[in-house]
Amino acid sequence: MTQPSDAQVTSSSAEAAVTYVFAVCRSTRATSALDLTGVTGMPGGEAVRLLPSGLLTAVVQTVPAADFTDEVWQGRLADREEIERYARAHHAVVSAVATHGPVVPLPLATLYHDDDRARSRLAEEADRFHTALKRVAHHAEWGVKVYRPATPDPAAAFEEPAPETDGGRARGAGLAYLNRKRGAQALREKRREQALDVAESVDAELRGLAAASRRLRTHGAALSGDQRVHVLNATYLVANDRAHEVGLLVRALGERTGAQIELSGPWVPYSFVGEV
Amino acid sequence: MTGPRVDLDSEQMGRDLVALVLTVVELLRQLMERQAIRRVEQGDLSDEQVEEIGTTLMLLDQRMKELCEQHGVRPEDLNLDLGPLGTLLPRD
Repeated sequence: MTQPSDAQVTSSSAEAAVTYVFAVCRSTRATSALDLTGVTGMPGGEAVRLLPSGLLTAVVQTVPAADFTDEVWQGRLADREEIERYARAHHAVVSAVATHGPVVPLPLATLYHDDDRARSRLAEEADRFHTALKRVAHHAEWGVKVYRPATPDPAAAFEEPAPETDGGRARGAGLAYLNRKRGAQALREKRREQALDVAESVDAELRGLAAASRRLRTHGAALSGDQRVHVLNATYLVANDRAHEVGLLVRALGERTGAQIELSGPWVPYSFVGEV
Repeated sequence: MTGPRVDLDSEQMGRDLVALVLTVVELLRQLMERQAIRRVEQGDLSDEQVEEIGTTLMLLDQRMKELCEQHGVRPEDLNLDLGPLGTLLPRD
């Protein structure tokens, strides 16, 4: 997570305030007409407002500096519920802005010392913001996760009770054990290759439809408690006029490959705005 | 990003340490097993050697299962998430 923040608030008193930036969009008439009364923004902050600066407009909020120091964020990051609350608040603002036109969402907890600093940042990075806005205009992000269906442990198929005679040392038991393990290993490898093939072909087909794509790390069972094997975690930037094709393609791919494919979206294109 | 809040519970730490040690032992056991399978497939072992290696690995496997049971560790606990590298032991 990049944090181009310059407000490493250390000396400020408790009442000091900093400028939290949610997103950047173009200074259009639609932007200036944005109604932000319904969005609350960060807990404890003032009203979410627009901060125009030339051709770009930032969506910002004045928040108490003491609530957004590095130490406080470290504590928050360790608390899943708390971080979810802040992430949802951030996302709600970004989504509200995105309904009115292209938007570059900034990472969670992007802070500036004050409005002037935020404005000068917009001016410095104007080119990059404009490039990103051009890329994501009329596009949405779609997330695709492919899972290999949960299958019984391959070893179990080969498991047979070890001969008990002579304390499990029956003649041939060693060879039988090795053969069982060999079979299980071969089966496991075959399955893994098949799963990777499925992942590659799903990715290739979706890339054909997308303007850009990104492969993300597949996640293990630890976090989600999900026992299925996750073989593809990717995200695609798709033009809005082709959005309906995504669902159709995913369904067709699911039927063809037998894999479980989960589609999510449309999302604000968080993954395709570059390191701004 | 840090994980869930760390709870310094000495009993939990003891269990985690046992699980970590058993994970390393299990990794070595699996590596030996794979090496043995490879050598059997190459066919450069005599029948007696194959039998002996197989029996040894089988007993090790049984012993691991007993150890896990004794310490209340489930087989699926014996793993480490290595981030982008995946998991230390194959998950399936």
